[in-house]
Amino acid sequence: MSSVVLKQVEKAYGPVLAVRGIDLVIPDGKFVVLVGPSGCGKTTTLRMIAGLESVTSGSIFIGDKDVTNLEPKDRDISMVFQNYALYPHLSVAENIAFPLLARGANRTDIQPRIDEVAAALSISQLLNRKPKELSGGQQQRVAIGRAIARSPRVFLFDEPLSNLDAKLRVEMRTELLRLQRELSTTAIYVTHDQEEAMTLSDIMVVMRDGLIRQMGKPDDIYENPVDTFVAEFVGSPKMNMITGKLEGNRFASPTGVVTNIQSSNHHNVIIGIRPEDVLISGDVANGMAGRIEIIELLGPRAIVTVKCSNQRITAVVEMAHLLGLTEGLEVGVNLREGRVHIFSVEDGIRITS
Amino acid sequence: MSSLFIKNPEKIRRWNIAGNFILAGAGIAVASPFLWVLFASFKSGSQLNNPTLIAFTPNLENWKIVLNSGIFQSALRSAAVGIITVSIAIIVGSMGAYSISRYKTGGSATRFGILAAQVLPPAVLVFPLLDLAYRLRVNGTLTSVIAAHLSLVLPVVTWFLIGFFDAAPKEVEEQALVDGLSRFQAFRKVVLPQVGPGIGASAIFGFVVSWNDLFYALILAPGNAATLPVRIAGFNTFRGVELGAMSAAILVSVIPVLIASFFIQRHLVRGISGGAVKF
Repeated sequence: MSSVVLKQVEKAYGPVLAVRGIDLVIPDGKFVVLVGPSGCGKTTTLRMIAGLESVTSGSIFIGDKDVTNLEPKDRDISMVFQNYALYPHLSVAENIAFPLLARGANRTDIQPRIDEVAAALSISQLLNRKPKELSGGQQQRVAIGRAIARSPRVFLFDEPLSNLDAKLRVEMRTELLRLQRELSTTAIYVTHDQEEAMTLSDIMVVMRDGLIRQMGKPDDIYENPVDTFVAEFVGSPKMNMITGKLEGNRFASPTGVVTNIQSSNHHNVIIGIRPEDVLISGDVANGMAGRIEIIELLGPRAIVTVKCSNQRITAVVEMAHLLGLTEGLEVGVNLREGRVHIFSVEDGIRITS
Repeated sequence: MSSLFIKNPEKIRRWNIAGNFILAGAGIAVASPFLWVLFASFKSGSQLNNPTLIAFTPNLENWKIVLNSGIFQSALRSAAVGIITVSIAIIVGSMGAYSISRYKTGGSATRFGILAAQVLPPAVLVFPLLDLAYRLRVNGTLTSVIAAHLSLVLPVVTWFLIGFFDAAPKEVEEQALVDGLSRFQAFRKVVLPQVGPGIGASAIFGFVVSWNDLFYALILAPGNAATLPVRIAGFNTFRGVELGAMSAAILVSVIPVLIASFFIQRHLVRGISGGAVKF
């Protein structure tokens, strides 16, 4: 268990900067998720922390120790790869034992530990099998078992759930979270899936183009995104973004959206509104007039796409409020008061909420 | 639609019979030289003049000559040369192939040019090697033969293994580094086991090349250090070819290889196809 600190870490591949000076402080025992679109530098950052990628400039500390130039084996970490990277020639038990044996443990001494880990992940019945005889979910469990067999100072996860089917992914996500809470070992987790990032993280780090755009508690980032990129990246379905003019308290877009917003008097702005803050009523006179284009049922709620003049707006509607709404129906659309985010048109930076 | 894919069972049966005939024909074509050599080894001098003679009283004269000619010592020498050549080629070649595969050592020139030496006829290399052997005072010894065989076997083994290392996932090796191994330990304990079939196949291939080589052995180590092919060639005397004795000697040379390949053919095919996929 240790904190992890990155100081102005950069990674260049020839002339291309993959990571452009990252400062990151990860407190002891926290679950940190690096999230961003592909090519944002999140995996490169993780690999630099693991020591699998050299650092072009800057330094990395695990605990008080500067590990910038240490071999991976000397960093006291465990890692789970996207494709699990199980040793194909070893049995499940030998895979789990590997990090212990590699560090000079005695085979008979570690047997209880292997049994314990296998029991915790319900893979006790698989111990004698080879990796190729396992399903994807089972391989995943073995990979996690191998990571926790030793008590490393830091867990590193590189999109470990991406290869699983949707249902299993959600199950494993919960299990991973439970394990990390039990062990309270610092964990750094990389994913491109913002939902995974939201559910898992104590601290969420949103990256883009080799830079950290925003970091903080996931609900903070969700509520107060710093710019349009973060606003659109975090949350599903994504935030509605409407470009227009703000005069006094009246916002109007070229696409025909007109609404009242309490705000200071910036001229050209982008307003953002989360789908769950878009209110739809059967009464056309109530708010902007719109027409329902598509209703996508999700179970307890539905995604409703409404067209107001020339602007498509996505709304999330609870099942209870969906009664009477049908595709093609004319409706009234309101944006929930105080929930509109305002961003600058020039650089996309948040102006006020 | 599905009726299109249902074949007439009668037709299938007829094809099977035809196929078996073709296979049998091919089998006979392959086996007949062996049978001819087998028969020849039991024939007397005059019987040898009739190659189609099948019914004859076998005599062991040829075998007596061969077994007293020191052929087993030669076979042992050949085996030693083969095993040492292959051991060195596997140790050096696996590391070389790994380096070329993972670190692009030498660029694509090395990757594809490594077999360039194979294009040269052995005659080009043998006299420099002979000269070198004289200067190092290892002429007439198996050391010089092993060195010559390495020039044949090592590039092929290396080239062959590059594809296997390409196919071994990089993450598994990185996992080993994170799990506490040094780079060399990871290579030895995690990467090498994954290319096991390739190592097996290339070892067998290299051994056969070495076991069958006549040219280098004949020039670099004739006389007391003669390997098996040199010993066989020795039955081509100034009085003419002693065909019967030579046939017996050929069998001594072929049988171990046949037995070995019978037991390992499945691994051999798996190994070769495993590598071939990547090329």
